Amino acid sequence: MTDIPVIETRRLILSAPEPADYPKFKATFTSYRARFMGGPLNDYEAWMLYAAEIGHWQIRGFGMWMIHDRETGATCGMAGGWQPAKWPEREIAWVIWPEVAGRGIALEATHAARAHFYDTMGWTGAVSYLDPRNYDSIRLAERLGCKRDPEAASVDGHDVVYRHPAPEKLKNSQIADAIELELQSHAGPIFGRREEAPA
Amino acid sequence: MSLTQAPVLEAGQLRLRGPEMRDFEPLAEFFADPDRAWGFGGAETRPDAWRWFASNIGHWHIHGYGYFTIEMTEGARPAGLCGIWNPEGWPEPELGWLVFAPFEGRGIAYAAALRARQWAYDALGFTTLTSNILPGNARSVALAERLGARYERTYQNVTLGEDMLFRHPGPAELDADGGMEAYA
Repeated sequence: MTDIPVIETRRLILSAPEPADYPKFKATFTSYRARFMGGPLNDYEAWMLYAAEIGHWQIRGFGMWMIHDRETGATCGMAGGWQPAKWPEREIAWVIWPEVAGRGIALEATHAARAHFYDTMGWTGAVSYLDPRNYDSIRLAERLGCKRDPEAASVDGHDVVYRHPAPEKLKNSQIADAIELELQSHAGPIFGRREEAPA
Repeated sequence: MSLTQAPVLEAGQLRLRGPEMRDFEPLAEFFADPDRAWGFGGAETRPDAWRWFASNIGHWHIHGYGYFTIEMTEGARPAGLCGIWNPEGWPEPELGWLVFAPFEGRGIAYAAALRARQWAYDALGFTTLTSNILPGNARSVALAERLGARYERTYQNVTLGEDMLFRHPGPAELDADGGMEAYA
């Protein structure tokens, strides 16, 4: 069986999806929030998808981590790699529970997951398949340095393909600096925590 | 490579083991055949079969049980699936089975179901088990009855629609071999 690595960032811990982490996954995937990810799903479909998230790790040797808040342990969403049958390429994907959106958590988690795939697993690139109406995710893809790739095959013709910068392009780049600056602004003492900022 | 923590259970000419990647092709073929897959919810595309295969692996990790692959002891060829299934929305843990086309008609499902049921009672501590069978699936009804299960009720399955629930004899009603000699 594949041992799922643990990744730590400033504010987050990414670890294997566990049965105990299921309730908030279900809440998101059975809601309107999941409209760009094949949802909303019914209870059975949400559970089967969660089970498939776990199975994906064993089949592919990579998958989606559960994102936890380092201080509280609470789950915040998922980020990682995804390539079920029919996916033309390996995808870097993310989903954030609605109650923690807007804190840069998806950026921090996805940036760390991508670094793991590039630095530890030797990936030379990846794409993200996005719904063209999913502006939040398109904006995140662009903050991650992705560029729309109109030549790349999509999953089913209803998604657009964003290509991630290759490892050598990302290293010491303006994109990497911008991501670092944005993550500092969410966590660092210089900028202060978001909730402490004046209204 | 093993994808789950499933044990290996011997049962005469066959064994039950956890799912492995080499089981995917015959499973995808099974799901692609509408005549064979309808009792399991209807034909599925290859991507859907892959998703189901991944879900079964996750099912093992979440519950500690799921569908075993049935393998012929001789030649180690995958012959079908059998195990305990209990995704969210299911009425109760279910003993289920399917046999790949080349292995039909050899009593494989019966032997596998008998072994999986015995394992669920002995190792998992289950005190009862059901089997869900779509109306019209006479072969599965016959097998359920041969296993000693009795029709209990018809209900609406979360994904399959109208479905019949059969209840198996509990551990106390079975003989040492897991069979139903007293009923034969």
